[in-house]
Amino acid sequence: MQTSSAEAVTTITTSGNSLLQTLLRFARNKPLGAIMGTIIVLIVLMSVFAEFVAPYDPLDTAPLMAREPPDRIHWMGYDEVGRDILSRVIFGSRVSLIVGITSVVFGTTIGSIWGLASGYLGGKFDLVTQRAVEVWMSFPSLVLALSLLVVLGAGLHTVIIAVAFTRVPYGVRVIRSVAIAVKEFMYVDAARSVGSSELRVMMRHVLPNCVAPFLIILTAHIGTAIVVEASLGFLGIGIPPPTASWGNMLGSAVGQAINPHWWRIIYPGLAIVITVLSFNIFGDAIRDVLDPRLRGSEAQ
Amino acid sequence: MSKYILRRLIMTIPTLVVISMIIFVVLRVIPGNIVATMLGGGGGGGGEGVQMVDPAAIQKLMEDLKLDRPLYEQYFHWARGIVTGDLGDSFFRGQKVSEMLRNHGPVTLQISVMAIALSWIVGLPIGILSAARQDSFMDYSTRLFVVLFLAIPSFWLAALIVLFGVLIFEYYPPLFYSHIWDDPGANLAKTTAPAIVIGLGMAAMIARMARSSILEVLREDYVRTAMAKGLASRVVMWRHVIKNALLPVITIAGIMMGFTLGGSVAVEYAFAINGLGVTMLTAIIDKDFNVVQNLVMIYAAAFVLINLLIDLSYAWADPRIRYD
Repeated sequence: MQTSSAEAVTTITTSGNSLLQTLLRFARNKPLGAIMGTIIVLIVLMSVFAEFVAPYDPLDTAPLMAREPPDRIHWMGYDEVGRDILSRVIFGSRVSLIVGITSVVFGTTIGSIWGLASGYLGGKFDLVTQRAVEVWMSFPSLVLALSLLVVLGAGLHTVIIAVAFTRVPYGVRVIRSVAIAVKEFMYVDAARSVGSSELRVMMRHVLPNCVAPFLIILTAHIGTAIVVEASLGFLGIGIPPPTASWGNMLGSAVGQAINPHWWRIIYPGLAIVITVLSFNIFGDAIRDVLDPRLRGSEAQ
Repeated sequence: MSKYILRRLIMTIPTLVVISMIIFVVLRVIPGNIVATMLGGGGGGGGEGVQMVDPAAIQKLMEDLKLDRPLYEQYFHWARGIVTGDLGDSFFRGQKVSEMLRNHGPVTLQISVMAIALSWIVGLPIGILSAARQDSFMDYSTRLFVVLFLAIPSFWLAALIVLFGVLIFEYYPPLFYSHIWDDPGANLAKTTAPAIVIGLGMAAMIARMARSSILEVLREDYVRTAMAKGLASRVVMWRHVIKNALLPVITIAGIMMGFTLGGSVAVEYAFAINGLGVTMLTAIIDKDFNVVQNLVMIYAAAFVLINLLIDLSYAWADPRIRYD
């Protein structure tokens, strides 16, 4: 699964094409991916302009309306202190997107630099750090993030760091395998024989080949990162209340065994599923476009 | 083969030692004075909590818990405990860790085993069928199933099952776990739903991997040769394709087992099951070091063990690996 990206040596060739043309070609080849991409753009716009989209203040409580089911004005009902759930779902997208995107960019970048160095330099550095990566991967992401959050304390920044930390080894693994494949190419030998320094070869000749796999891991992991963040919120150790996050909304809704409030469980969960689904399918489309070897071998 | 097994077994020891050291060190950098928290001084943030508590009492408790010793000494004490089977006590609950394992371990273990079995029983056949009849209705349904289950968080599915059980069927699962030999009905009522939730998530991964791996093998030259010499396609499928396609599936299934362990935390929480996952969660929130370090160590050791089994099954499936 991971080594396949090693062959991903295509760089994105947008030269001579406008951005619009590239987008149109993507939409024609990958209609489902394009639809999901559009949904992502809509979710991003919704979260950026949450103040204008949301009908109510997500923090405004109406104690008399606490736990009331959906009605005609409040489509998704009220939570345990009478806040409007629709508004909280809209504002909750901010946490999911910020954590999902920044943590993956952050974690994958660190992992990729590490993987590039490890794969290209090889030798003892590679041997030792790869054992470390194996140990790292041997911890389930959620347990790792959980333990880290206890060390770091709850908050937006710490959740981002904790989730990013769980993404690092995946970047290392994939980019390392690309670097190992690429360094055997003739042009790398050629560059070295004309006297380029190791650093220059790494930056000018190996790095560009890592761009496509880097983008593939990036889009493939945002969905997972959003789920990890939601799980942390669900367990009550993610973003602290009263800030709305889909995870903590779900967490506060379960545990009501008698007469459960379906509206408090269904809507935030649907928001997670739609977002993660969009990122996953969009990620698959990006992978198919950037990595021709994989084209057609998996869900299109 | 036995030489290979022995070598791999010996190689797991340093891995486990390194893991135990990392766990130990990471837990010791947690801010906030654990002892002050225990004595009810608020703790957590450090500073002010400590001052409110009698320093002599802190000193006494630190000595009792051996927290005043140098770190390496604490580490060796713990390591000796692991080897001799004495895992020490919980800081808060006045309970032995081994006792907590006995109380909360079986339910988690049972759910994991059921989930893993289910994931193979569901995931592998639909992966094979979907690849064998590419672009058929079966294939599209499989792909939809895979895409959906990769996006649905297991804890939400768990919450939905609990919700609809109550709303539609007025069904409440039994409150406590009973061993399968004591009360099979109550036992299965408690464990089936979580096993399905965790198992289906893994089945999606296995089906996806099996499908893409089989499709890849189907394009190999030796498959074309086998077809060309007139073998029935079923024989080609079983003898040439599936056997070769299985290796990456075994790998992904192993990695997935690690996810079962992690995923069990949120799923147990959603189903209100008092298993190891929830025990670990409470211990992490309480900063109950001794429980956390032992549980995390057990999770990590289980994962290392699974990886070992995967490597061994590789060697069994692919003779080239044995002679490396």
